[in-house]
Amino acid sequence: MHATIQKPLDEIAGYFKPGEKVFVVGCDNCAAKCHSGGIPETEAMADRLKARGVNVVGWCVPQPPGVSLCKLANTKKVLQEQYGDQVNDADSFLVLACGQGFHTVLDATDGGMVHPGCDTIFGGETVSDDLINEYCSLCGECVVEYTGGLCPVTLCAKSLLNGPCGGAKNGKCEVDRNRDCGWQLIYDRLRALQRLDQMREYMPPKAHSKWSRPRSLHLGTGEATFSSLAGEHTVVNHD
Amino acid sequence: MSSLQEALRDGGFTVTGEIGPPKGVDLEECLKDADRLRGKVVAINVTDLQSAVMRVGSMAVCAKLVDRGLEPVYQLTCRDRNRLALQSDLLSAWVLGIRNVLCLTGDHPVLGDDSDAKPVYDLDSVQLLKAASSLNLGQDMTGHDLDGKPDLFLGAVVTPTADPLEPQLIKMEKKVEAGAKFFQTQAVYEPDKFEGFINQAQRFKVPILVGIVVLKSAAMAKFMNENVAGISVPDSIITEMQETAKEDRKKKAVEIAARTIRQVRPLCQGVHIMPLGWDELVPEIVEQAGLS
Repeated sequence: MHATIQKPLDEIAGYFKPGEKVFVVGCDNCAAKCHSGGIPETEAMADRLKARGVNVVGWCVPQPPGVSLCKLANTKKVLQEQYGDQVNDADSFLVLACGQGFHTVLDATDGGMVHPGCDTIFGGETVSDDLINEYCSLCGECVVEYTGGLCPVTLCAKSLLNGPCGGAKNGKCEVDRNRDCGWQLIYDRLRALQRLDQMREYMPPKAHSKWSRPRSLHLGTGEATFSSLAGEHTVVNHD
Repeated sequence: MSSLQEALRDGGFTVTGEIGPPKGVDLEECLKDADRLRGKVVAINVTDLQSAVMRVGSMAVCAKLVDRGLEPVYQLTCRDRNRLALQSDLLSAWVLGIRNVLCLTGDHPVLGDDSDAKPVYDLDSVQLLKAASSLNLGQDMTGHDLDGKPDLFLGAVVTPTADPLEPQLIKMEKKVEAGAKFFQTQAVYEPDKFEGFINQAQRFKVPILVGIVVLKSAAMAKFMNENVAGISVPDSIITEMQETAKEDRKKKAVEIAARTIRQVRPLCQGVHIMPLGWDELVPEIVEQAGLS
């Protein structure tokens, strides 16, 4: 899931020109779980902005429940069919969702002015209702087969592929003494799995061409093609 | 062959020193520190933005040492440069007469005075050693031939006091396989712990120079424990320093350093002395340790 956090209210309120008609859009999936753009938060944002004199013409969190804002077809449909009048009346949109949801609204409203209400901070695991943690950096070149399932790019502050460095103390990372050294965690896990030999293997440098942005995924019948600066990479996933 | 490489090959107990470049372009103090080490050490490490604080570059200061007839060890970290810049800097170092390189990961930017700086770490120290070894063989990392190849003497670091120790040993072996020909360790204060490390590390058959950090005060020791990556001063030493009168601190600093060196001398091939600004004590340390 994409973890998001609202920008400061002052910053958001500062976006709008006097009289600018704003329609607020939230997301019932990740932003709802992060309490940044679910139904309560989106309604609250509309109210708070109105209280500050912003001309909010409406708000919505596209349904059905749990659907992501980043599904272009659904978002476009909901905005046009269920909120058409307000959407057409609006000068701009404020989006309470991740950057992907944000861009979906941009696409769904034919490129009008869209303001970002949130910072998209990381991709995370919903550990509980109260906690979302980052375990994957979306690097496009997964190596956790060789590190006991724990990602060195994410859990090591230096993203070392051949770790550890010499900075850890008592199993804690040099950047924060409350944070576990990623390679200590990997070492412990590999030992427990009796796969410590994998730590002895040389890991070559990362292919940063696969991190190059923007990237895309094209889906065909029984196959998928990933496009990045590393080229086009097709995988057959169904015989 | 560099003097350092020769000294290690010849097998005598080898002594290296270290200077830290300033934040600025006034090199007078830094070069004076280096001059004080002349004749006392075989080579002088020059740190690379130590503690992730922006300073004048290691390469520039190393080049100045070469000009003055001193032998530098160019410390090169992975923190600030991508693989292109790292390989380029290795070639540039060679062109400037630098022959020894210590390949390090590098302290994270949050430890420095500009925590918003982007941490690069495009390569880690093992990958950097491999890249440097490749340059020495006349090819860059991706197999392209070089117009003229360097023959850099490559070194790496290990933390003998790490607990658990095994990850450090695993990485040390990878560094040797990647081309590390000598090791300088992080600071050691406890000879018996160091012996435990040496027993495990000697199978790698590389020269090891034990790291000695000169301690100015108990406060400094505590500060380093909290803030400096890779340094762990034990309580016994902190207490020893606390019980020392202020006017005797320099003497005590020399005593602790020299004593530690004498105790670990039989276990390794040399010592790397990190004076952290008290370079004037190095000659005394060398003498008291019985190394001159």
